[in-house]
Amino acid sequence: MKNESHGVMLVFAGLNLIFLCCAGGLFFFLIFESYPILKLHGFDFWLGQDWWVGETYGALPMLYGSTLVTALACLLVLPLALAVAIFISEFLTSTSRRCVKAVLELLAGVPGIVYGLLGVSFLSLWIKDIFGLLDGNTLATAGCLLAIMILPTVLTLSEDAMRAGPAEYREIALGLGLSKWQMATGVVLPQALPGIMGAVLLGIGRAMGETIAVMLVVGSLDRIPDPWFNIFSSAQTIPSKLGREAAESIGEGTHWSALMALGLTLFIMVLLINFLGNRFLKRRSIS
Amino acid sequence: MSSATFEKGMVFFLSILTLLVSSLLLIILATVFAKGLPALHSGFLIETSEDFGRAGGIFYQLMGTMILMTGAILISLPVALGSVIYQTQYLKSETGKEICRQLGQVLNATPTILFGLVGYLFFGVYLETGVSWVTGSLILAVMILPTLQVSIREAIEALSDQYKETGMALGLSPWSQIKSIIVPQCYYGIITGVFLGLARAAGETAAIMFAATTFSGIRLPESFSDPVPTLQTHMLVLTQEAANPETLAQAWGAGLVLLSLVFFLTVMAWILRGRLKMEAEL
Repeated sequence: MKNESHGVMLVFAGLNLIFLCCAGGLFFFLIFESYPILKLHGFDFWLGQDWWVGETYGALPMLYGSTLVTALACLLVLPLALAVAIFISEFLTSTSRRCVKAVLELLAGVPGIVYGLLGVSFLSLWIKDIFGLLDGNTLATAGCLLAIMILPTVLTLSEDAMRAGPAEYREIALGLGLSKWQMATGVVLPQALPGIMGAVLLGIGRAMGETIAVMLVVGSLDRIPDPWFNIFSSAQTIPSKLGREAAESIGEGTHWSALMALGLTLFIMVLLINFLGNRFLKRRSIS
Repeated sequence: MSSATFEKGMVFFLSILTLLVSSLLLIILATVFAKGLPALHSGFLIETSEDFGRAGGIFYQLMGTMILMTGAILISLPVALGSVIYQTQYLKSETGKEICRQLGQVLNATPTILFGLVGYLFFGVYLETGVSWVTGSLILAVMILPTLQVSIREAIEALSDQYKETGMALGLSPWSQIKSIIVPQCYYGIITGVFLGLARAAGETAAIMFAATTFSGIRLPESFSDPVPTLQTHMLVLTQEAANPETLAQAWGAGLVLLSLVFFLTVMAWILRGRLKMEAEL
């Protein structure tokens, strides 16, 4: 009897160990595999501007591209998400609120490849025509597409943060004779700011790791745009670089090691952003 | 302008924005449908693709996606269920539980392409499964693990203490409690997780594109070391190499099927989740 239950516990512990190994192994392999290139190039790996397979590996253009695209998506998505989240949380009836939330959940599940196809067929052509460019595959295109992709996530989480504010505050505000609009912008919004920050950070984390859609519209040129703020030029992000080149050198050589080091960089960036985002969301729910 | 009119105007403006955002779903659906229409014909789902994807149907691609999805869930479910049961029933230390939860969040946030890279290296190269549907299923299994865990954990934590206390009072061993109380009572949570996990696996491209798939040639896998064609990678190749409208229409058609599959799975998960909530309220 005692032995049986001990054995059962071991089975479950073993399954939990598999899960822990999945998470730990991911990090371990990224470090292990990127060690050769980091030993070879040292810190210059992140500062180098040239990526010639077989000669030199510099990650700066990819780092810069990822940062710029994500920042762009964030700038585009923030005002829209804020405005719509206020409306959903404060001005909609609970039935329509649930409908909108359901639509957002479906939108969040649309596969990246479908967004990619939409981006290639419409967005990049529109951007090319509107701004009179030679090539519609630019940082701006990728930024817009990412903004659309992370909008549902950011929106839903911001709305949750707004709803989480205590009902008394709303009642007191209305009781003091504030209008609903004043209550929403003056009472609910400031209360929900940390939660909204968290929502945006989680959205950024998602945007950074998105591969397929970005890969199809970013233009895939390993260089820093000239001048640096020119968002209408082709560039490269870390995931799209990985997606383009991983198949060429899978499993061996310096090239592979360099790609894994890029992956490690991306992993650490996403992890930090996500950690911060969760901190903000949690602080909201405790206070 | 008085402040009342200003406020009314702002609220109106916000309502228009909300309407626009909500109609995004309809716009996407309508576009995919309209663009894919030329490729859709009665046999689209059951015919094989011909002429490098320019004509015909997507039978083997659909099968490939299904194989990878099913494989992933079959591998992932026992691990997810077992690890959550261990964390909630056996693990006593709060720190240990918190570490497990944080690691789950880390897995959930990890960019999917990294699962593809590391997964291929570990399974494909070190365990020698090569570029095959087995590798793909294993990679997707790791990827959907946190999705399953979250659903199952929610269901177990929502289980009322009365059940547990009754079980203990009856002198049930931990295993009997798990077998006859926890798993049957959290059944819907498990199924919800399965559907959400399937939906996530179906929509994933980056993790499997160089580890498990092929564009043409191989049809249904005949051994463990065969790659499969999938809807996602089919779309990717067609999109990148499309030169004529018929090929693109095929990509859109495949997209429509993929989108319907993902939405169907998500809605199924909702229906079961709704049932779960109702049971919890009883």
